[in-house]
Amino acid sequence: MASTNASSWPRRISSFTSSPSQFLSGTTADSFLDQVLHELRDDRISESTKVLLLTPFLEHPTILCPFPAVGEETAVELLAIFCQVPHKSLQLRCQLLVAITSVLVCTSCVSSEVEVAVGFLDLLYQTIQDTNDHKNGQQFYYLRLTACDCLREIETCYPGLLSQKLEALYLLKQQETTPLHQAYSLLYTLALKNAIRLLSLQKGGADDDLKRVLAGNEGFAWKAVETPLPPYPVSSTGQISVVQTSTDNKELKSIVSLLLEESYLLTPLSQATLLRELIEVVAMVQALSPAIFKSQLVRLIGTVEITLLHATLLMKSTFTDSLFTTEDENFFIKRLVSMAQHPLLSVQQKLFYMDCILHFPENRPISSNGEESLPVLVTPHLAASLLPTVFNDSRTMLCRLSLLSLVYLEADENDDKGVGYLFSHLMALHRIVENHGTREMTVTYFKSVFTFLTYFYHNEKFTDDLTKSISELYSKHCYLAPNVINLIDRIQEHLEDPKWSIRLLQALQKLIVELPLVQMNIQNLGWHLKILGRVSQESQVSQGKTLCFLLSVLINTSLCTTGDWKMGSVVLVVCRNLLQHPSLHRVFTELADLLQYIMQHYNDVDIQDHARFYYTLLTNLSREKLSGVLTKGPNVEQTKVRSLSSLMAESEGLSNCLTVQETTGTVLKLTKVHNTNVHRVSQQTDSEGHEGEDVLTFYRKQFSSPGFSSKVILEYHLTYAGDVDVTFDKLFSICLHFDLTDSNYEQVSDISVPCLFRNRKPPVVRVTLQPRQPYPSTLCASAMFTTDDGLSWHTQLEDIPVCFSDVFLPLPVPVGWSQEKREKLFDHLWSSMCEEEPGQSATSLFCFEIGNQELPALIESNFSAYLISQEPEKQSYKVMFFLPPQFHVLLTIANAEDAVQVRIATDNWDFLPFINTYLKSVAPQTPRS
Amino acid sequence: MSVRALWVFSHERGDGGGGGGAGGTVCFSRRFPTVERRAKALAGALYVAVPEDGAVLQPLLTELGLSDGDKAFVLSRDDCARPQRSPALELRVQGRDRGVLWPVLALVQGGLILACLVLVEAPPEPRPPLPSLASVSQGLSLLAGLQAFLCGTGAKPDGEALASKLALLPSVLLQICPLGTPLDAPQAGSVAAPGPSGSQKQPAWKPGPHRGRAVASVSLSETVRSMQYGKPSRQDLWDVFGTVNCKCEVEGVLPNVMVTLTLPPNGSPLQDILVHPCVTSLDSSLLMASSVPVPPILGSYQLKEEENQLRVTATLKLHESVRNSFEYCEAHLPFFNRGHVNNVDVKVSCGQLEVSREKSLLVWVLGQKFPKSREVTLNGTVNFSELSSGPRDPLCTGLTAYIKLYFRVPDLTLSGCCVDQHSVQVYSSAKPRITTSRELVSSEYYIWNSAGEAPISSALMVL
Repeated sequence: MASTNASSWPRRISSFTSSPSQFLSGTTADSFLDQVLHELRDDRISESTKVLLLTPFLEHPTILCPFPAVGEETAVELLAIFCQVPHKSLQLRCQLLVAITSVLVCTSCVSSEVEVAVGFLDLLYQTIQDTNDHKNGQQFYYLRLTACDCLREIETCYPGLLSQKLEALYLLKQQETTPLHQAYSLLYTLALKNAIRLLSLQKGGADDDLKRVLAGNEGFAWKAVETPLPPYPVSSTGQISVVQTSTDNKELKSIVSLLLEESYLLTPLSQATLLRELIEVVAMVQALSPAIFKSQLVRLIGTVEITLLHATLLMKSTFTDSLFTTEDENFFIKRLVSMAQHPLLSVQQKLFYMDCILHFPENRPISSNGEESLPVLVTPHLAASLLPTVFNDSRTMLCRLSLLSLVYLEADENDDKGVGYLFSHLMALHRIVENHGTREMTVTYFKSVFTFLTYFYHNEKFTDDLTKSISELYSKHCYLAPNVINLIDRIQEHLEDPKWSIRLLQALQKLIVELPLVQMNIQNLGWHLKILGRVSQESQVSQGKTLCFLLSVLINTSLCTTGDWKMGSVVLVVCRNLLQHPSLHRVFTELADLLQYIMQHYNDVDIQDHARFYYTLLTNLSREKLSGVLTKGPNVEQTKVRSLSSLMAESEGLSNCLTVQETTGTVLKLTKVHNTNVHRVSQQTDSEGHEGEDVLTFYRKQFSSPGFSSKVILEYHLTYAGDVDVTFDKLFSICLHFDLTDSNYEQVSDISVPCLFRNRKPPVVRVTLQPRQPYPSTLCASAMFTTDDGLSWHTQLEDIPVCFSDVFLPLPVPVGWSQEKREKLFDHLWSSMCEEEPGQSATSLFCFEIGNQELPALIESNFSAYLISQEPEKQSYKVMFFLPPQFHVLLTIANAEDAVQVRIATDNWDFLPFINTYLKSVAPQTPRS
Repeated sequence: MSVRALWVFSHERGDGGGGGGAGGTVCFSRRFPTVERRAKALAGALYVAVPEDGAVLQPLLTELGLSDGDKAFVLSRDDCARPQRSPALELRVQGRDRGVLWPVLALVQGGLILACLVLVEAPPEPRPPLPSLASVSQGLSLLAGLQAFLCGTGAKPDGEALASKLALLPSVLLQICPLGTPLDAPQAGSVAAPGPSGSQKQPAWKPGPHRGRAVASVSLSETVRSMQYGKPSRQDLWDVFGTVNCKCEVEGVLPNVMVTLTLPPNGSPLQDILVHPCVTSLDSSLLMASSVPVPPILGSYQLKEEENQLRVTATLKLHESVRNSFEYCEAHLPFFNRGHVNNVDVKVSCGQLEVSREKSLLVWVLGQKFPKSREVTLNGTVNFSELSSGPRDPLCTGLTAYIKLYFRVPDLTLSGCCVDQHSVQVYSSAKPRITTSRELVSSEYYIWNSAGEAPISSALMVL
């Protein structure tokens, strides 16, 4: 078998890591794993390539090792490789440790039962024994670093595993004086925290237990793997279980003190991690006073490092007034406010600090529901430095706006100077948008208006001005219609009082209907009609003016002659909304006139028809019936009524009936129909070929006709996926859509199924596949259908696997071909494959054991459709699979003394892993190949 | 306190060619499967897996407002009710791995987007407040370090340098974050091998031992910002901020260095001091400023409409307490929304005037010194081509216009803060050479046209 060229590995690895699913459409995980391991064992491969080869284990161990057994085997292999790598190959050794850790943890192989896991943990633990590199020298420095981190990750995943080794770990931490003491400190602190957590969950007095745990110097606590710890309650509401100690535990106290004292030697990120663990330790041990942190506070609150200040905040939320006095608290919040606008910090950090202000854990909180609230200490005076300006970036601006809105909302109601400033800020943004600001600025403006309104909608002084300014803005830039409509919609959703949005809509309506028609171009008109369409949804707005405007536009502009279907339907949306409007009786005549005018003059037949239909409804139905016909929404019972109204929904598509609903769970599935080998060939030639012509030449000539034997048909039953809702008992007009997950096949066309009923036989669906490369693949299927209440639905089906053997076809030769001819072709193909240059084709051998009697049965059940010749007495068979577009897999199967030998020839060696997997699935026992 | 996945994307803004397409590529990505396993256990039924790289980019661009550059309004991007103010993004992933990924932290610089998804160590519902999650600050810190590592101090990393940094990234991560829980942020410089161990613990943040000549240098850098309006109704604004950098190349495991910052007596203290974690103690009671710092250059600017031209008058005055010795000093007068500069008839009392017609910009180069009177003037007229081209700005319409000053004064701080060379004490075996330096640079130093409207730059003056 040809080996993959070493230089192609970087490309292959990167295509695997960027999209494993795409990559595996061309090979199997199994064979990829084999190849990678094979290369790793090869001494000729460079260290840097091997480091690269390990990345799949680092990123997707469970894809390469889907089962614990594979994980275990792989870990054994990797560990063996680790032992053989020379000591100077530092990076490779480190990478191997990380890879093995990932494989073992992710395949759940960390257990005392798994030999390799035990061995690996011992190796890690041995590695970290050599403190200060006394024994092995400096080249082991980074290996120790990695080993510490691997142990820390394993302890994080299996809390308590190191809980019997605390004294030993403590000594290591003490001895180490190189910067690695950081890794040792973190490892020890984590183990300490987990050990104490285990104790806290036990019942009874814990004084002796605590002593015993701190002096622990035993093996790994494997029982921690079997009974995992519940997660530590993070939120302030969660109850923390406490270790009940009766006496002051001096030993633990001095341990924690020392860790804190030395913490400044750690990098900020590690320091924050350490502090976090120690906070939990102190919270869990009653005998330890939070005051132990006091000496660190000045340093921590003054820090420039976000991680350290954050750790301090977590300290505050855990211990509140038992660590922070009112004065401290006051200072802390002032500090946060100044950090939130400090010129030397990044935007992200400042945003985070503003978030921290809004969730500040106060000593005496007014409410503690975890939601955003303003600390009492944040006064308008303190927060003034956080007022937004147009010089801020969008995120900062919006964040400051909502923070300050909260501040002023709670401040003195008689003093609206602050709110006035926020409003003037909106106006400054308004001017920028008016002067063609960027799209980002426009969006920021509308978001700001939304935020402002949600807080101050009751303050009419400002909201009136806002109405005015938005309609002014619209009059200058009517392309902002979608933004304006979006604002109105959202405000109506968020505020119970629709007053403001109604006023804005009225203002916009007035503005539009008073526009001089000469200035109206078709583009602007489109936006205006969108706004009027929105206005017509409001029952509180009188619509007479809108109708007069529309009629005058239709009569006096070229809309009727130049307008297209889209424009026409925007006009009809207004009409349709008006048909449902409570004050329809007031505009009855005008609406009738308008509809009549459209049906006579509009340049689009469909629009005319619709207008005529509306006209008929308007003039013939009573109001109750009219609203019955047109009401949208799922509460209308009869299907017919709904379809009638859905006819009218136009492009706005607001009606429930035109909307396709998404099912919540899986409703349908496709199950493979078995024993249908027969219909798979899509084309057969009738011609027998000329006499004397070489069979191989004839055979190959067939492929010159386009589309010859290029398709595979797979049959499935379309059935319900388990117990689904009764709504779906009868499905109609099912349209199945298939998406490819790779580029190995041509697009699959949609399939229509007339209906599916719960108590009838499931329909058969034939999926036609046209391979480009006949590799295994997965199809994503979805379906659209209608239920008998007239609603349309969209649902996702479970992915459909296409196996390698699904693409097998019998030999595409004329039906009348004799046995002899077929055999001749087989032999020709076989020898041609073996003759060709290596790399183009391949032969291989696969063996498995089987009882003497079983082979014919096995052949019959698996290969009968592909059998070329058989000699049952000799137990020798020839089998040929054809794989479109033009590939072959040839097998000669013979029962030799103790095993069945399958010799394989193929013109595409990339198939070998798939053939292997296929034969494994066919063979009754584990092969010995 | 861990990261589930880390990405570096490159992104072309706006003119992506295809318009509306993906508009970005994956430069680097790394997943941490053991952390992912924990995430799965913590989230239970609400777990959303990290999708393949391709499925992350599009929702990220949408969330950052960078998708569909050619479309004016896209609901998923521009909905006014979607909060866009937290540092944590919520990605709505479509397709096979659909679901909501939160919290995703992201940083955009130049054409790069750095992003990471951090672990939520709490029940996923109700969604915990961001400040309760320790991983968030760790993620932000990691991204900031990554940004410094990839981009350096420059705003936009160039292609080759970036490619070589990206190639180094896997081995950097192997050292600082092999399994998703970072020990440190990526360091911009190279990390030296650790020194031989002694009896004293070495600080983990120190980049290796120093050999060679002992040097300690302390540099003070101050930045002055100002907004001057030249109107009685509007108070002028200015502020000063700065950093004290102390670089000690001294032998020893943990040499102590004491730096005394002095400020002339009586006055207001320096505010909002942030301290690097390696500073062990800070006696802030000493930090008192002498007088309220003044803006080093006071300016006035009048721009008036005159028939078909603009009349420009400007005066700049150097404050008497400021050393008259610049490294550079330039005043920029940009004109927006008026077409290109056509005819410039402007006289300056000192320095040279350069005109960039394309940019509609006048650059007044004042050089190293103001004249003895410490006052310089500019006046004259400018007119513009009628073309609709030329630079545009939504803020500077009508007579809203500004002069922006760029200058650097070596050996000066505005606060009066300084470090005496002899006050620096280094407790180390070898006596180091000690150097100190100071500088003042300008940033966002604006003088607005007093004859026009000017935007509010800080609410403090209004309230």
